[in-house]
Amino acid sequence: MTHYTRRQTLRLMLMAGTALAASRVLAAEYGRGAGMPWSPMSGEVPYYGTGADRFFSRDERLAVAAICARLIPSDEDGPGATEADVVTFIDRQMAGFYGRAQHWYMQGPFAEGTSTQGYQSEHPPAMLYRLALAELDDYCRSQRGGAFAELSEEDQDAVLTGLDEGEIAFERVSAKTFFDLVLENTVEGFFADPLYGGNRDMVGWRYVGFPGTRYDYRDFVGHNGAAIPLEPVSLQGRPGWSQP
Amino acid sequence: MSRLRNALLAGTFAGALGLGIAPAALAQELSFSQVERGRYLATASDCVACHTDIEEGGKRYAGGRGLETPFGTIYSSNLTPDEATGLGRWSRDEFYRALNEGISRDGSHLYPAMPYPHFTKMSREDADAIFAYLRTLEPVTAEIPENALPFPLSIRMSVAGWKLLFFDKEGFAVDPDQSEEWNRGRYLVDALAHCGACHTGKNLLGADKEDEYLRGGTLDNWYAPNIRGGVNGGLADWEAEDIVRFLGEGRSRHTAPMQRMGEVVGLSTQHLRDEDLMAIAVYLKSLDDAPREEAETPSQARFETGEAIYFDNCAACHSADRSGVPYIFAPLDSSNKVTAEDPSTAIRIILGGARAQQTEAVPSQIAMPPFAWKLTDQQVADVVTYLRAASDRKAGPVSAGEVEDMRAHLQEK
Ligand code: HEC
Ligand code: HEC
Ligand code: HEC
Repeated sequence: MTHYTRRQTLRLMLMAGTALAASRVLAAEYGRGAGMPWSPMSGEVPYYGTGADRFFSRDERLAVAAICARLIPSDEDGPGATEADVVTFIDRQMAGFYGRAQHWYMQGPFAEGTSTQGYQSEHPPAMLYRLALAELDDYCRSQRGGAFAELSEEDQDAVLTGLDEGEIAFERVSAKTFFDLVLENTVEGFFADPLYGGNRDMVGWRYVGFPGTRYDYRDFVGHNGAAIPLEPVSLQGRPGWSQP
Repeated sequence: MSRLRNALLAGTFAGALGLGIAPAALAQELSFSQVERGRYLATASDCVACHTDIEEGGKRYAGGRGLETPFGTIYSSNLTPDEATGLGRWSRDEFYRALNEGISRDGSHLYPAMPYPHFTKMSREDADAIFAYLRTLEPVTAEIPENALPFPLSIRMSVAGWKLLFFDKEGFAVDPDQSEEWNRGRYLVDALAHCGACHTGKNLLGADKEDEYLRGGTLDNWYAPNIRGGVNGGLADWEAEDIVRFLGEGRSRHTAPMQRMGEVVGLSTQHLRDEDLMAIAVYLKSLDDAPREEAETPSQARFETGEAIYFDNCAACHSADRSGVPYIFAPLDSSNKVTAEDPSTAIRIILGGARAQQTEAVPSQIAMPPFAWKLTDQQVADVVTYLRAASDRKAGPVSAGEVEDMRAHLQEK
């Protein structure tokens, strides 16, 4: 293999990671190759969220959309959670395995936990949303004269600050845990690949100048911090992949 | 009948050529065990590929591999010396007749899925040596499944008509104007390795078209590219050495053998002597071809769309300027598969991915990931169209329909 330079060998080793799972076993003795079996058309297709599934009721969706719109507002500075359709991202996540906490340990005991210990609720995220949103709207109706989505932006900000700072408490779930979870999910929905329903038209990526799911920057190695003038691209492509 | 005499004469001479020896060295070479000689010749002829049920992990040479032809599935025979199901009761003459005339022991005609239209050029000595080798195999009792052919092809007599039209029992003719090496290469390509079985275009009845000799052929949704190496040939920009390395090590600057050719390299050519591979290369490099036809240019919008798809998906490995990383990621600016008249192979590689065949010399794993899940038919068509138009050797646009057909075929599997 005298023709391989060291750099090529390095790249080759990286490529070994792309070896794909196979369905058919071909015996080495036939000279079809020992080692990893391989077959065409197989590969790790990314998990597409939960497709068109929805978890939220109409009222829940309105409330979540309103919360997201305050957490990442749309203003003269740029697009916000509304343009990115973050609520659809969260809705699909709640309908999927994340919402069901399907791969978390969810047996007791359920301790308070410290802020660095992560999610401690006995409710899977979807249930936490459902219980918290019901109490949130009850609270807003009794204290502010309407469901959260119907309040003025000032009132909404005051309520969210109350949740964040522990001034408002819910009966069945922790209001602070709920706030932290929505904030985290909103940021995820703003920057995750559009494949998962949020970051629509890659507005989040355009906003911060992230070129998307590319994995080779050889052409820019010498750029030393200069901006990379590439259109962002999603796992699903970008508008430039279709003829005008 | 001078043709027949020619054939006989050539046959004897070619026997020596096939071995890779000059007549002067004959005496010395004859002391070499005939069985070893037969093993080498059987390897060069890749008998094992068809006569082993590779998909099901069958025993070597015990047959039963289903070969997909445009007409239906034909199962290969058991070549082990088993009395009941193999060649146990066959005589040398009967064996030679099978290779030379495509006739089975009981006198019935063999389907040309068994490449006797090529093996007919094999010398008697070489056929006898292969027979001697096959006799040494462990007998395996293996019944062969019924062929799945529609009427009237299911009747063996129908092959008689086919032979009448397309089968020339023509021996190997030595060209005295060419070097010994060239003649040996031609004998290997035509009489043993039957490269033309895949790389020569076929007519509607599955027979080689003479004027399409090694200009590329389609089989089971693969396109085996033009492998003529002279002016305008598919391998025009390959050096003889590149061909030797491709066949011997499974890597070259231009490309690597994949699923179909990978089998040929893995089972056959990697085990051949370098001087035989060089003879093949010298012969292929001598074959010129007609200039390419003027290619239709795609619209600017389509070209740019294909370029965008290419840059985002493919440049990471094949480089933004399409020059690839020779020996690892095929250069696409000069790819013979990309600019082939029939783009099937390029399309199926993009949809389904591809793996470069591992060999004893180069056991590394390199694979291209599949893009079927990610790119639409139109997008695959656009990227191939872009690559064809941007290539050193321009070729015309590809339609989304061609990609759709290939996708359906691959999903069926
Ligand atoms: C491209 C695939 C292929 C290759 C390569 C091939 N064969 Fe065959 N062979 C077949 C098929 C298919 C049949 C069965 C044909 C039929 O049923 O009519 C067959 C039949 C035969 C038969 C007839 C057996 C019988 O019972 O009638 C013999 C003998 C034979 N092959 C020997 C060889 C030898 C020797 C080689 C190598 C020099 C070889 N074959 C290479 C596909 C192949
Ligand atoms: C079983 C059918 C088959 C046989 C027999 C066969 N080939 Fe191939 N060959 C293919 C196919 C299909 C491809 C392209 C896809 C692949 O690599 O699998 C190919 C690719 C090639 C390439 C690469 C061409 C390029 O530019 O990409 C070369 C060179 C080649 N074959 C030479 C040969 C030679 C020489 C022989 C005879 C010793 C031969 N082949 C026998 C099917 C075959
Ligand atoms: C992860 C690396 C990788 C990516 C990304 C990739 N390829 Fe490949 N490609 C390969 C490897 C490996 C081969 C096979 C080995 C070889 O011949 O170099 C190959 C072979 C090919 C071939 C066959 C060329 C020939 O002449 O043999 C074509 C055509 C091709 N790729 C097109 C594409 C296109 C179009 C894309 C983007 C949609 C793409 N590739 C993306 C790694 C890659």
